Amino acid sequence: MASFNARITMPAEAKAGEIVEVRVLVRHPMDRGGQVDAEGRVVPRKILNRLTVTYAGEPVFRYDMHTGVSANPFVSFTTRAVETGELTFEWREDGGATFTRTARLVVT
Amino acid sequence: MSSPISPACAHPEPALSRREVMAIGAAGLALAALPAPARAAAPPALTELIARITEGAVPERGRITFDIPQLVENGNSVDVAIQVESPMTDADHVRWIHIVAEKNPFPDVARFHLSPRSGRADIRATLRLATSQKVAAIAALSGGGYVIADADIVVTLSACIDGG
Repeated sequence: MASFNARITMPAEAKAGEIVEVRVLVRHPMDRGGQVDAEGRVVPRKILNRLTVTYAGEPVFRYDMHTGVSANPFVSFTTRAVETGELTFEWREDGGATFTRTARLVVT
Repeated sequence: MSSPISPACAHPEPALSRREVMAIGAAGLALAALPAPARAAAPPALTELIARITEGAVPERGRITFDIPQLVENGNSVDVAIQVESPMTDADHVRWIHIVAEKNPFPDVARFHLSPRSGRADIRATLRLATSQKVAAIAALSGGGYVIADADIVVTLSACIDGG
């Protein structure tokens, strides 16, 4: 995919110990395989199968996706603010491609 | 990763079209009276799927809230929210939450891995539902137990019917 469009919504800063909600929306067709396109070809399965989130290097959330996850998948989860650092979001797509985005959380 | 194409999606069973459904509705017949369409390869029952997920343990009801619309107009995108009552400490937390839809071509829909650092067990996501069915959310607790909540969902436009 030439462009990978992800929207990550979370507070820019939080107090230590506060629980922050992280919302992630990605533009992706999540082709589940088996459909026929306009030219009559069968579309192979190609979905994002995993989203892994680390916070200052520590894994805090993982989302295993199968074909039952909608196109343009949305997910929200929570994490406890412990230190100022980067949240790193890494998606793995069928075929092995990965996409990474980061968001910074400042802890006061 | 290659995957088999589901027979259920590749050859959708002849279902009622929206027009037919409307016509029946107009004629005043109850939809519930319609016979369920025969299924060539019946998917494994929900209890079997749950037993596989929990490795045989019987999950308890309670402590888990599963918010999903009872009537879904479009199975291609269904908003769900799951909360589990848990202190989310090292000693007592939710390890993961698994969603299973018994009549989807691949009943395992999604799994969310949490940890004490999550602070709360509170997840929202968007799913696909192939047809009207029972959907269950199962949470694995750090103590080794499981909790479950399920819901019967009516889907008017299946995620499996699309020409494009």
